[in-house]
Amino acid sequence: MTEKLATKRNPPKWSLWLRGLDEWLLIFQKVSGAILAIYLIGHTLVISTALGFGHPSQLTWERVIGLIEGPRVVGVAHVGTIIEYLIALLVAVHGANGVRLILMQYFGLGLPKPERHTYPMIPSPRKSPQLVYKYLVIAVVIVFIILASYVAFVG
Amino acid sequence: MSSVKAGLKIEVKRGTFTFRVKRYDPKTGGYRWSEYKVEVTSRQTVLDALLKIKSTQDATLAVRYSCRMGICGSCAMVINGVPRLACETKPFELGTDVITVEPLSNLKPIKDLVVDMDEFFEKHKSVKPWLIRRDEGEQFEKLDSYYVQTEEQLINYLEFAYCIKCGACYSACPMVFLNKNYLGPQALAAAYRWSADNRDEGYVLRLKVIDSDNGVWSCHYSGTCSKVCPKGVDPALAINLLKKSLLTGKPPAR
Amino acid sequence: MGMVAKSTLMKWHYITGLILVVVLGIHLAFRWPSYEASIQWSSPHGVYEQLLNIGYMAAIFILLYAATYHAMNGLRTLLLELHQGRYWNTAVDVVIIALGIFIVIVGTVALVGALQVI
Repeated sequence: MTEKLATKRNPPKWSLWLRGLDEWLLIFQKVSGAILAIYLIGHTLVISTALGFGHPSQLTWERVIGLIEGPRVVGVAHVGTIIEYLIALLVAVHGANGVRLILMQYFGLGLPKPERHTYPMIPSPRKSPQLVYKYLVIAVVIVFIILASYVAFVG
Repeated sequence: MSSVKAGLKIEVKRGTFTFRVKRYDPKTGGYRWSEYKVEVTSRQTVLDALLKIKSTQDATLAVRYSCRMGICGSCAMVINGVPRLACETKPFELGTDVITVEPLSNLKPIKDLVVDMDEFFEKHKSVKPWLIRRDEGEQFEKLDSYYVQTEEQLINYLEFAYCIKCGACYSACPMVFLNKNYLGPQALAAAYRWSADNRDEGYVLRLKVIDSDNGVWSCHYSGTCSKVCPKGVDPALAINLLKKSLLTGKPPAR
Repeated sequence: MGMVAKSTLMKWHYITGLILVVVLGIHLAFRWPSYEASIQWSSPHGVYEQLLNIGYMAAIFILLYAATYHAMNGLRTLLLELHQGRYWNTAVDVVIIALGIFIVIVGTVALVGALQVI
């Protein structure tokens, strides 16, 4: 017998996943989560240093924050401001999509009740509650971008 | 060509399509593409075309099929990039002149379009997809009454009972691709179908398997499984309902 | 983590997620109307005034603990899904717990000390 049974699975069809919003949101949630987790570590260390590890003073604060912020680049905004702005954007999308997932999986909001089939059959990711959720997520993110841009660059 | 029957005119078109078939060769351990030109009518399916290829052009093409009417689940394959049932897909409705046919992803190939479904069935078995009663002998020895079920109780799980175990959802799931040990949408939908059945008393026995990293928690709601299911089973919904039960501690709806 | 059911870990992940939406919202809202002014020590809505605000400081404490749990559990899930074998899994668990404890201690020390200004 020259035939041998395969040990590797057939490769997946990437085209199937590249055109679904849910698939992109899943990747985004993971990637933004990783970035935000690293940011949390950095931010806690920076702020704790700036607060003098329990001995807060104006001098320590201003020296550390001045160092971290970097030079001014856009209007009143420093380099540090831009970075924090982008992080805040990540938080907005991660948070809005996360709330959608939590409401769905913990409270069952937006999950259709199983029913007898009506035709044409529409799978639950394509039914209207999911679409409402996604539009809400987009709306929340847009509002957030407007407010954040004002606070960072204009205020 | 058209036929007239009691005033009903049915238009049957003919056309020639090119089928590009990705075939696994167990001798070399690699894949190769074969091209076939087949003439089909607008009433025929991809399965009809493959069988026509087998009988008139290339008898070595290996295909799994059985009922040819969408109920046995044997002929699932990736057609034009999407896992579908070959017997329910018509070349005329796909909209392309060249039709790509590949074996199911995420499963090990045996030959040509045939894949090894053992791992898929093992995972299905691991969720105990049968009616479990506290008294094991009850169903077999004490047959004095039937188990009562109202219409509402039936509808709680009916949708998920339509599964024909074709493997399309398993093939479409990105988390199955990333996690070799993930149970997959079919097994989890089956776990929900049996746990939500009011006649079943075995939910706690299934918990250990589904409440694990390789159970529901590998699912991150990409929803592809529900989008490709040919029977409208909606495994994504079943998994979310399972997660809700696990998080809130309340057993699935009865 | 053979002692805790995955659903318990995920339940707290979701609860801290909801808590974070609220307290992060407060943390970000305190940057209004100007981010630059809110990070100066002595400006009108500046750091010194934020430290004096007991309600805000309570929110920041909650933020520290909720964010640490949420981020560490999320990171752990991410890393374990890379499936690199048994040693990797144990190493991830150890590093995550150590990192979590570290962040909580550093943050608590700094914040408790900062409360002295009140």
